[in-house]
Amino acid sequence: MIEPDVGSRWSYTKRGYALTQSVRQLRERSVATFITLFVLGTTLALPAVFWFGSASLSNLVNRSVGEESITVYLSLDVSELDGAAFAKDWQNQTGVKRTTYISRAEALALFQEQTDLNDALAALGSNPLPGAVVVYPNIDPAVPGDVTVERVEALAARFKAMNAVERVQIDLDWVRRLQSALTLFRVIVSLLAVFLTLTGLLVIGNTVRLELLRRQREMEVSTLLGASRSFLTRPILYTGTLYGLLGGSIAAVIATIAYSFIKTPADQLAAQYASPFRLALPTAGQFLTIIAVVTALGLIGAVMTVFRPSSTHITNR
Amino acid sequence: MIAFDRVSLAYRTGQFALEEVSFTLKPGSFTFLTGHSGAGKSSLLRLIARLEKPTSGDIQVGNEQYSRLKPRHEPRLRRSMGIVFQDNQLLYDRSVFDNVALPLIIGGYRFKDVKTRVMAALERVGLSDRYADNPIVLSGGEQQRIGIARAVVARPKLLLADEPTGNLDAGISEEIMKLLLQFNASGVSVLFATHDTDLLNGYRFPQLVLDGGRLTADQTVGGAGFSYQPQSPNSEPEVTS
Repeated sequence: MIEPDVGSRWSYTKRGYALTQSVRQLRERSVATFITLFVLGTTLALPAVFWFGSASLSNLVNRSVGEESITVYLSLDVSELDGAAFAKDWQNQTGVKRTTYISRAEALALFQEQTDLNDALAALGSNPLPGAVVVYPNIDPAVPGDVTVERVEALAARFKAMNAVERVQIDLDWVRRLQSALTLFRVIVSLLAVFLTLTGLLVIGNTVRLELLRRQREMEVSTLLGASRSFLTRPILYTGTLYGLLGGSIAAVIATIAYSFIKTPADQLAAQYASPFRLALPTAGQFLTIIAVVTALGLIGAVMTVFRPSSTHITNR
Repeated sequence: MIAFDRVSLAYRTGQFALEEVSFTLKPGSFTFLTGHSGAGKSSLLRLIARLEKPTSGDIQVGNEQYSRLKPRHEPRLRRSMGIVFQDNQLLYDRSVFDNVALPLIIGGYRFKDVKTRVMAALERVGLSDRYADNPIVLSGGEQQRIGIARAVVARPKLLLADEPTGNLDAGISEEIMKLLLQFNASGVSVLFATHDTDLLNGYRFPQLVLDGGRLTADQTVGGAGFSYQPQSPNSEPEVTS
């Protein structure tokens, strides 16, 4: 008997057969496959770019809050010793990075240095300025910006409730405005991402539907030969997953390239405002996450197409 | 082996493709299923292959009572039989070897067994040297032989042939017939649907004759019911109305 020279051992197993058929179908229509993958890649690259940027924007709020300090003005009857002790006590509290005590004398000296009101002060006869503690909040970069703002405000409220404290000063209004602008931006981007993701899902679903039609004869013959439902659907599910895997890879590459183009002018703009803000480059984890998400999207698109009620040539068997 | 008990198959329009058909075919038999076009031959074969479900009546093939057969077991049932089609139903996007190997892949056979069985089946139909070719380059008769090789590669106990010689000239039809006889001689039951009078007259095997969806007698049956005379030691179908 002739020893046949045929494909690999694996391609004659059920799963190997399904994958071999899927890859072969993609390769045989290489131009159509490339166009579909490119459409999928470019469609999903935009949400990916926004996602890359959103992490940096979240840090922007934290950085902005981190640059702010809380100035706690003590009552006039708090002695210099008690004021220094107050600052030392708070140094080790949760949510506080460090504190600086400014005594009444230091405050007066600073005031005299920065203003021309020496005569007016002399007329008062005694130092009217209170001692103050400058508190620098401890910012956790892993925490979202809005949570950070709430934490800093809660810290300020704790100071306000103390008898030894006369007044607490903190300017978080501009941070709140930045926070609102970023929230609006995120909502718009999220909606856009949802629409583009749905578009991607439709592209995959339609491609898989065409693939189903192209493979109808093979599926009919396989059914006659006793193929189970899983045998019939497996190549289609693999095709959807392959589209997702390859489309996701293209999306991740396009997004990374586009992001690197955006990074330079964005960093330059931040530098002009003397901001330490910089767009962070996407991490390997983010890159792989995009590929994984789009791969899952491909599988979901294929499942939705294969198991929808009108796919009678599969579901009835 | 195959028993039809008052089986009917109706279209949605209410018209019957098969009506009250009853017969029994014994294991190892070779039986012609004949009748004019539209008489219900293909419908009967599709019922046996569980590609259609009867409107009424019951079918038994081997130990499988179709009325009790769960849908998830239908593929397994189909794998236990071989089917040869008039248009051979080959896939032209792959080689002869891969066409014949398909039932074995579906059945989950080991690669070593796939190679051995495919080449043995091709050897039996005289086409082992063409295993690497695409079937499209083969003649109609050769393609039909590939179809037969695919039908028998998993060594089924029952072979259903739906007008396998319908598109072939007389000489090649003879070759196909001889191949099916070889398989029958090795114990495979064959139900051969045809209206080729040359074959029907040339081989005096029992016949199931359909007319307008009803089972009727032919010359070999005579008027006393539908009890066939055995034509060979292997073929003893009994037909009852």
